[in-house]
Amino acid sequence: MTTLRPFTCDDLFKFNNITCRQHEAVLYGIPFYLQYLAHWPEYFIVAEAPGGELMGYIMGKAEGSVAREEWHGHVTALSVAPEFRRLGLAAKLMEMLEEISERKGGFFVDLFVRVSNQVAVNMYKRLGYSVYRTVIEYYSASNGEPDEDAYDMRKALSRDTEKKSIIPLPHPVRPEDIE
Amino acid sequence: MAARGHVQDPNDRRLRPIYDYLDNGNNKMAIQQADKLLKKHKDLHCAKVLKAIGLQRTGKQDEAFTLAQEVATLEPTDDNSLQALTILYREMHRPELVAKLYEAAVKKVPLSEEYHSHLFMAYARVGEYKKMQQAGMALYKIVPKNPYYFWSVMSLVMQAISAQDEKLAQTMFLPLAERMVEKMVKEEKIEAEAEVQLYFMILERLGKCVEALDVIRGPLGEKLTSELQSRENKCMMLYQRLQRWPECNALAHKLLLKNPDDWQFYPSYFDSLFHLIDQSWSPPEEGEHCPEGAVHHTVAEVVRFVEERIKGEDGKESRSLRGPYLARLELIHRLRERGCPEESMLGDPLELMVQFFGKFGDKPCCITDLKIYLHLLSPDQHVQFVNRLSEAVPLGERGEEGFAFPDDTKALQRHLCVCQLSRALGLHHALDVDGKLRLIVELKAHYRHGLKFGKNALKTELQFSDMYCLMAAHVYIDLWKETGDENMVWQGLGVLQEGLSHSASNAQFKLLLLLLYCHLGAFEPVVDLYSSLDAKHVQHDTIGFLLTRYAESLGQFAAASQSCNFSLRFFHSNQKDTSEYIIQAYKYGAFEKIPEFIALRNRLNQSLHFAQVRTERMLLDLFLEADIVLSLEESVKAMSLSAEEDDIPWDNMRDNRDLTVFTSWDPKDRELTAEHRRQSLEEESVWLRIRSLTLRLLASLAGSGHAPSQQNSEIANENGVGDKSSILSGLLSQLNQTLQTANQIAEKRIQYPFLGPPSTRLAPALSSGSCQCQAAALQLSVHLQELETVGLDESTELQTQICNAFKSLVVQLQEILNKCKGDLLDMKEGKLKTWPSLLENLIFFVETVCIVLWMASHCAKILRPLKTSLQKKKKKKKKDANTAQPVVVCGFQELTGSLQDLLTQALEYIKGQETGITALKLASLSLDEYPQDEASFMKAAMDKVQSSYLRSLQEAGDLLKKRAETIKNLKI
Repeated sequence: MTTLRPFTCDDLFKFNNITCRQHEAVLYGIPFYLQYLAHWPEYFIVAEAPGGELMGYIMGKAEGSVAREEWHGHVTALSVAPEFRRLGLAAKLMEMLEEISERKGGFFVDLFVRVSNQVAVNMYKRLGYSVYRTVIEYYSASNGEPDEDAYDMRKALSRDTEKKSIIPLPHPVRPEDIE
Repeated sequence: MAARGHVQDPNDRRLRPIYDYLDNGNNKMAIQQADKLLKKHKDLHCAKVLKAIGLQRTGKQDEAFTLAQEVATLEPTDDNSLQALTILYREMHRPELVAKLYEAAVKKVPLSEEYHSHLFMAYARVGEYKKMQQAGMALYKIVPKNPYYFWSVMSLVMQAISAQDEKLAQTMFLPLAERMVEKMVKEEKIEAEAEVQLYFMILERLGKCVEALDVIRGPLGEKLTSELQSRENKCMMLYQRLQRWPECNALAHKLLLKNPDDWQFYPSYFDSLFHLIDQSWSPPEEGEHCPEGAVHHTVAEVVRFVEERIKGEDGKESRSLRGPYLARLELIHRLRERGCPEESMLGDPLELMVQFFGKFGDKPCCITDLKIYLHLLSPDQHVQFVNRLSEAVPLGERGEEGFAFPDDTKALQRHLCVCQLSRALGLHHALDVDGKLRLIVELKAHYRHGLKFGKNALKTELQFSDMYCLMAAHVYIDLWKETGDENMVWQGLGVLQEGLSHSASNAQFKLLLLLLYCHLGAFEPVVDLYSSLDAKHVQHDTIGFLLTRYAESLGQFAAASQSCNFSLRFFHSNQKDTSEYIIQAYKYGAFEKIPEFIALRNRLNQSLHFAQVRTERMLLDLFLEADIVLSLEESVKAMSLSAEEDDIPWDNMRDNRDLTVFTSWDPKDRELTAEHRRQSLEEESVWLRIRSLTLRLLASLAGSGHAPSQQNSEIANENGVGDKSSILSGLLSQLNQTLQTANQIAEKRIQYPFLGPPSTRLAPALSSGSCQCQAAALQLSVHLQELETVGLDESTELQTQICNAFKSLVVQLQEILNKCKGDLLDMKEGKLKTWPSLLENLIFFVETVCIVLWMASHCAKILRPLKTSLQKKKKKKKKDANTAQPVVVCGFQELTGSLQDLLTQALEYIKGQETGITALKLASLSLDEYPQDEASFMKAAMDKVQSSYLRSLQEAGDLLKKRAETIKNLKI
């Protein structure tokens, strides 16, 4: 039981239960959120519990060249508060982002995830995503942890009938080589 | 930095090195390179602007501005100069100059799409909506592109939103905007989704719901495809506004059929049913019920619909959704509210909740879900309910301690949920002391047992059993508040420290630790706890209050300054950030976001916390530095503080604090209420008003210090001083009024829930006498002003009055100081006890003595010239002048002597406390009754408190020592 609705600026003030209670969730600066709200408001969806608590949110965008068949939906952030996990909420939010990307005529949806984050990698695999390539040292070091690689995971949309977009690259790439 | 033109211009090549230097932050080289270039090419304006950027970035604002204006007056039209000037003006926070620049440019190049579009954006940055409207149309005339036309329309909507006069919005701006869109509709020129969205916004604001509905349901509505379910959501909103309950009902259940978990439509569905019943609505005899389809207009139909959804979930192979089950409880709640007997059709709430627990009890959100429906149970069912749930928790065999533990995390979650529900039903609170202590033992046992499920957890992951630990701490707090036994809070701190050692990123542990340390008067450990929370951006506004309430009042001035700075940096960047994204929203046609961004900006600018940190930061700077580093006058001037100006939006203050940041499972009657929130905001506002008035009075004190010399005092009396004295008396009467209100609030002794908002410093400030003493000191400035005018000759009565005030100040200060005497930390019978109120009073003394010293220094400045002129006069009259000093001079000397004594006393007290606390042997505390690891966590917490008290004493002592040195400057 969840209300899914567009994210609004006022939600920023209720954000503590998603971000503060959960260390791994990155809290971006206000400009970052505003940029997404200004450019891709439809891709920014929040889930709310009946008591008004924010349960989680997804934030994404559409980008890439149509001519090169690289037009796609991208998941920038997906976060669910610990007390609202194991309800299938992340899957629901992903499904919505995919649906929006379908409507925009995207070829695929992609996302980046830390290679160490096995829980997330497995979840995305269950949702039909596969590793397209590894991006070396995509996550820069923080808190004494070293740089970390990312998996670029993809799922083809119906427009990519032959699923060309998800054929894995044989070699890892560097962050500067990705668009 | 700046985009360089596509055509290869030789100037581009010449300028490139300067750009590069600027990009790399090498401003000096950029300036040098620009100078070199300007020697050869005098007319290369852009080089001048780039040099100005270099100067601006090296702190030479005035030079930079002059240079920039040299170029600006030439009204440049080359891209390079325009872009460089735009960057410079933005860095100077002068966005209005960018508009001027492009106004000139479009005059010279009237057909440039680019410059016109820059002009539009420049207006957008400063919110010149009318000019935006014109600039948008001008653009459209040059290049008839739809977005330009709709920029202009949106600017009309913004004029409507920002209009003071709602009538003007409704009769002029919005109708005009509507006509502009209608024209495009008629000409079939509507292209984009954003344009339909904007049309909808206009109609909605005009209250033309029927027309809006036609648009949404018509062909234009088909363009609304980006946002999922956009048309349906908009229709639903309009049906509700139009009170078209049949449509509302039909659409709601249609959408619920599609997604029975989408909560937002259940309330609409139920509401519409009740409206239909109230209107005795009945369906037409033939044909469709309404344009949206079939309507459920009886309770029986709705009950059947909900039951069917539940059957659907029960029969599913995949994961069941909670929505339908909770909808049933919601429906019972609503039927009961209306007194409908049909409630019983849905079943017994107790059974239904037990059933819900059976299905979803292993989900962490089960407590959140059920908590809102606990009122459906009668009080005599509570125990039975908990027992029924406990039966459904699979636990292993009872161990030695008599506890049975879960075998996996699902069972753990169920058991935890039962504990949470018991607490929410008030069953924990009903236990006596022994019962609570036994409960704690059980919770701790479950906590420690549950750690085994998270042995391999990453450092960033939480432990499955963390919530037991948090709850144990809550029960310790209950005991502490109930019995006053401070050992309870030490144990609470101990268990939380233990929890944190296993779950380093648990924010709830950190938050509660932070709060408890503050309540014990120890701010030092809070600094690390807060920084490990990694609070960012808007969190400085929503939870920053936790720091600012305590840092200064507990004498940790350096930390207090720092926490104000964190918040201030965030608030100041907000202004610039938002205008950037308002512009982007225009570019991408996210029109509905534009008013939202502006509302966000206002919400932050009008934030209570923002006003508080602004005020406290300046007060702190004065307490820490004025008259020690710089004089009060210089400090006030450096802060550009003015007595006249009040920049706090008293009438529109926004309380952005997140007062539910602490997890709590307390029963409803102990929860934070709306009334608590209101009272807390009121209390905060009154305290802020006292502080802000104090600050402004200090500014006026410093301002009148620039007293004009004797010769032109008459002129000054006519315009300057007269004004100042009326401001002064105005501020003083405001302060007195506010103190009266403050007394009324303090008398109410409002208690907020422990996990709710902290009380302000208001009540202790009044009971310590510091508010009254500060006000009395500030009040003196009126009499001093008078004395300055009449002189020493014929003012005996006034002088006596002033002297009495001096004496009274000394008495009051002594009283405050007496209120902090006593040991801050003591150990009796092997138990450690804190006296945080003594520390708070000491800080009130420090603040108050600072203010009295400024008054004294102000007084000395007035008395010195008066005394000199008196001596001159006397010398002229008689050679053997009467050696008797004027009364006020004697009184003043007495005052400075007493102040010296008071400071010495305070410093001795601090020194004594430092020695005493250092000598406390915490090791000798009898912690033997506790298991060894618990004792060591408690001990660690005590060490932190001890160290924090020492630090507070040291900071207070250092400050007083520096203040004591300034007393010698008070000689006259």
